Amino acid sequence: MLFRPNPSSGVPIYLQLMEQVKHAIETGALRPGEQLPGIRPLAEELVINPNTVAKAYRELEHEGVIELRHGAGAFVADSARPKKITDRLRAAQTVVAAAVERLRERGVNDEEIRRLFEAELAGLSKTKAGGHRG
Amino acid sequence: MLWHKAWVETRWRALVGLGVLLCSAGGAVLLYPQLMKLVPNAPPADAGSIIARQIREAADLMRDYRGYVFAQWFRQPQLWTIMAAILGTGGLLTQGAALFTLSMPVSRERLIGVRALVGLVELLALAIIPTLLLPLLSPVVGESYPLGDALVHALCMFVAGTVFFSLAFLLSTAFADVWRPLLLTLAAAVALVSIELLLRRTGAHGVFGVMSGDSYFRTGRLPWLGLFASAAASAAMLWLAALSISRRDF
Amino acid sequence: MAEPSVIDVANLRKAWADVEAVNGLTLQVPAGSIFGFLGRNGAGKTTTIKVLLGMVRPSGGTARVFELPADAPASSVEIRRRTGFVSEEKDLIDYMTVGEIVRFTAAFYPRWRRDLEEKYLRAFELPSDRKVKLLSRGMRTKLALLLALCRGAELLVLDEPTSGLDPAMTEEVLQALVAHAAGEGMTVFFSSHQIAEVDQIADRVAIIERGRTVVCGALDDLRERYRRVQLVFDGDAPAASFRAPGIVRVRRRGRVLTVLSSSGADAILDEARALAPVATDVVPVTLKEIFLETIAAEE
Repeated sequence: MLFRPNPSSGVPIYLQLMEQVKHAIETGALRPGEQLPGIRPLAEELVINPNTVAKAYRELEHEGVIELRHGAGAFVADSARPKKITDRLRAAQTVVAAAVERLRERGVNDEEIRRLFEAELAGLSKTKAGGHRG
Repeated sequence: MLWHKAWVETRWRALVGLGVLLCSAGGAVLLYPQLMKLVPNAPPADAGSIIARQIREAADLMRDYRGYVFAQWFRQPQLWTIMAAILGTGGLLTQGAALFTLSMPVSRERLIGVRALVGLVELLALAIIPTLLLPLLSPVVGESYPLGDALVHALCMFVAGTVFFSLAFLLSTAFADVWRPLLLTLAAAVALVSIELLLRRTGAHGVFGVMSGDSYFRTGRLPWLGLFASAAASAAMLWLAALSISRRDF
Repeated sequence: MAEPSVIDVANLRKAWADVEAVNGLTLQVPAGSIFGFLGRNGAGKTTTIKVLLGMVRPSGGTARVFELPADAPASSVEIRRRTGFVSEEKDLIDYMTVGEIVRFTAAFYPRWRRDLEEKYLRAFELPSDRKVKLLSRGMRTKLALLLALCRGAELLVLDEPTSGLDPAMTEEVLQALVAHAAGEGMTVFFSSHQIAEVDQIADRVAIIERGRTVVCGALDDLRERYRRVQLVFDGDAPAASFRAPGIVRVRRRGRVLTVLSSSGADAILDEARALAPVATDVVPVTLKEIFLETIAAEE
């Protein structure tokens, strides 16, 4: 279910992991209330640093996607929230689809579109990270 | 575990050396009857060449059994010097495993100390056991050799031998192969022989004098000065070896 | 963040006869981290590691492990009591069998983990009665790793642990390292020139070139801070110099100016506005690029 992140992609591993968890919840591979793998076993299985897994779980908890129950482990948050995320992501998908369509009409090819999005995110991620420190 | 390792790394040469020395000692005793027949044929006392004079000297000594043993075995330093030097070679530098051993939580002084001690114990065994063969085997050729003499001579052999053991040991902390320390030690031995021949006066207290137990044989007195000098020289060289290893970068 | 570092190197120097192997190296390894030590061949990685383990004496600077001086013989013994080490050459005692070398090593460590010994002998498929010198390279590495992992040590120091291994074995080794950092709370310090594996399991990284640290920090932090800013101009790119901090490299080629920054893109974009570029591009930088560009910039 959770497959190995790509360390050389330029996207931090913890972000990739977060995306995978959210995607798993989307597709129903992980259900609300279900337990996620423990930090250490998951790190061993994916052969990545345990701190990276811990960070991903912390961020997911911050976003309300999962709950970290002291001593018991990590669990997918109850039904209300995942649905919220699903809705949110669906709305976001529509926005992206529209933007991509418009750019294509203007003759921007797919590779250029990808670079534009990455550049925009890279420029913004510093301020975003600044808010999450601590 | 370090003791066991040092033993495993030196046991073959110690055992082979023991075998060779046992054969040599045994051979000396068992050949007694044959060699005695040759004594009357020795050249006269005023013969010209050095070799002739040495043969005469040896023949003179062999008037009795005790003298024979002295001349045939204790006074032949070559084999013993080589044995002592061989036992002193080896060590950390010749192993590929230096970094592994050095990553163990033991001080370098301990590593080298254990190795030196094991080598010295082997040297002692190689001095005593073949020498003990002399009193044990002599009755076979109808003679007897005093046990006390054997032990005293063994002690002298051992102490003198430590000099070459320690030299080879010290040189082994400078060279990574077994041959150079060995050859350099033997070269030093040859140089020492020449020096002692030239100086004549060192006689009973020089390294080779001590090795043969010369003064004990002739006068019944132990060569205390020589024994002390040899022991001190060995100790100094072993200490230098420890210093050399402690300061080395691997 | 007042926890003392497990490894603390300050301004370390080591000169062999005519070569400065290490030339003012500084780094700190926090407890519990997996620390990747990257550098080219001959950059000074092995020398630094040997200093930490008391095999080489430094010419200057300080190196402390568990807050003990690495160059004092008595503390070095204590350091080695708490450290597991695998050398670059996978140094082992060749004439012993696997079983014998395990017993030999175990004798020096009162906290030897018999349970881990059995687990890894099985997992690594190491035959107890095979002589070490007859082991294949991969088996040798695994044996060396086993001997380091079972010591009950708090720190693991590895010099190029996966060199010469095929991808499957590399993954096995990395997995064992991750399991130990996680499960046993060990600190892992390993040198490598395989950037991919550092990327994968390390949480902190140092890049060393010509005996000095040129990059040091948390890997996630580096990934967020390093950016490549590409500015395209109408005519030839101007020979601009940027006052923004943390610029690693500026390259001019035709109409394009490329700036590699270690402190984000904002300051550079601000300055770049004055130059009126036609297009700007900001791209994240992989560890491999950080490594190659930083090393190139040093020349």
